[in-house]
Amino acid sequence: MRSSAEAAPLRRGPGNFESWNRCAHFYLGLYLLSFVWLFSFTGLLLNHPRWAFADFWPGRKESTIEQRIERPPAGTDLEQARNILDQLGLQGEIEWTVERGEASRFDFRASRPGRIFEVSTDLGRGQARVRRIEVNGWGVMRMLHTFSGVRADDTRNERDWILTSIWTLTMDAIAAGLAVIVLGSYYMWWRLPQKRVWGLAFLLAGWVLCAVFVSGFNVSL
Amino acid sequence: MLTRQRIYWIIRDMHLYAGLFVSPFVLVFAFSVFALVHPSRQSRPTVSGSRTVRNLYVPADIEKDIGSAGLVAVRRILDQCMVRGEIGFIQHLPRENRLIVPVSVPGRETVVVIDLKGRTADVSNRETGVMGSLALLHKSPGPHLVDIRMNWLPMRIWRWVADSTVYLILFLSASGIYLWLLLRAARRVGVVLLAAGALSFVGIIYALIG
Repeated sequence: MRSSAEAAPLRRGPGNFESWNRCAHFYLGLYLLSFVWLFSFTGLLLNHPRWAFADFWPGRKESTIEQRIERPPAGTDLEQARNILDQLGLQGEIEWTVERGEASRFDFRASRPGRIFEVSTDLGRGQARVRRIEVNGWGVMRMLHTFSGVRADDTRNERDWILTSIWTLTMDAIAAGLAVIVLGSYYMWWRLPQKRVWGLAFLLAGWVLCAVFVSGFNVSL
Repeated sequence: MLTRQRIYWIIRDMHLYAGLFVSPFVLVFAFSVFALVHPSRQSRPTVSGSRTVRNLYVPADIEKDIGSAGLVAVRRILDQCMVRGEIGFIQHLPRENRLIVPVSVPGRETVVVIDLKGRTADVSNRETGVMGSLALLHKSPGPHLVDIRMNWLPMRIWRWVADSTVYLILFLSASGIYLWLLLRAARRVGVVLLAAGALSFVGIIYALIG
């Protein structure tokens, strides 16, 4: 079949915003497709924790190892934790789980999608105990959705792993890309005069419904 | 009988109208990513108002069941305090004989501390602004406290809206692929970009999982 869209060739050339916008709409969509599907599907998983097929936590694998370590050189907690992880051959986003009390005790967690390492150390004895928790593919996917290294209500933890930063930049890029696709689609729709009335009805319905939720339901429900 | 040309126009119209309808919700999820991934520690919401409500009717033994059944009793107290919204959790402090109940509405967090013996409640509000509102909607309903969450009608409706947004996005991407495949001139570049996106997706996830 030869559609009318196909019959109209893609116009190229600088200054042709319409053509550029149309290409950006579907080329950006194609590039982001895998990411959008991941976040869409994992969004559903997060909203439906009772879906038994994706319940990964009961099937997790746990193991514990003990290993001798050198006392890390003086430095910040983060530098010391990173040094201990290097000695243990581990990598991940460091998270402070308990307040540091005794100088010789130093506990923290390092995580990456699919794996969590709970590290407890006795620096006086040069001993580290690592509890390793590993989850299946469903767990990996769910962790990817929320893996940012920070939480709004937690001022103690900061993003500290380069791969977490790259992943959050990816999240930003996907969000920005979606915004470009949406805003570009408004222009494409407006350039179709015969679709304006029904398009406006659907667009307004979406915006009104959305505004009700964002405004904190300041309507009688 | 539907011809291929007719199917093309039906899918194209559905792509357009479904896309226009769901677009505000896609923008909500997209912009809230920035609030969630880069939370502003400087602009933490501050208490914007507090008050004490006295002479409350407190159902007997309310503290004995602070699960899903206790929600009804707690909601009755919240109604007396003129507080509405989604109850986050119910925490019982046995020594002080108090209940702590955080209640959320997009744009506002309210914490209600109920003194069970004195039959009073301290109510404090925090305005979280538009970005806080977007972030709350993005995270709702979420995976935690399944037994009690979505205990407020508008949030129950939001759960349905959030799911519908995902299903519409999946439809839009599938119909978008169909429409792109009919554009012969754009196929080659499209395939390259689709493959590049898939490769970068696999690459970064491979690096993260390790």
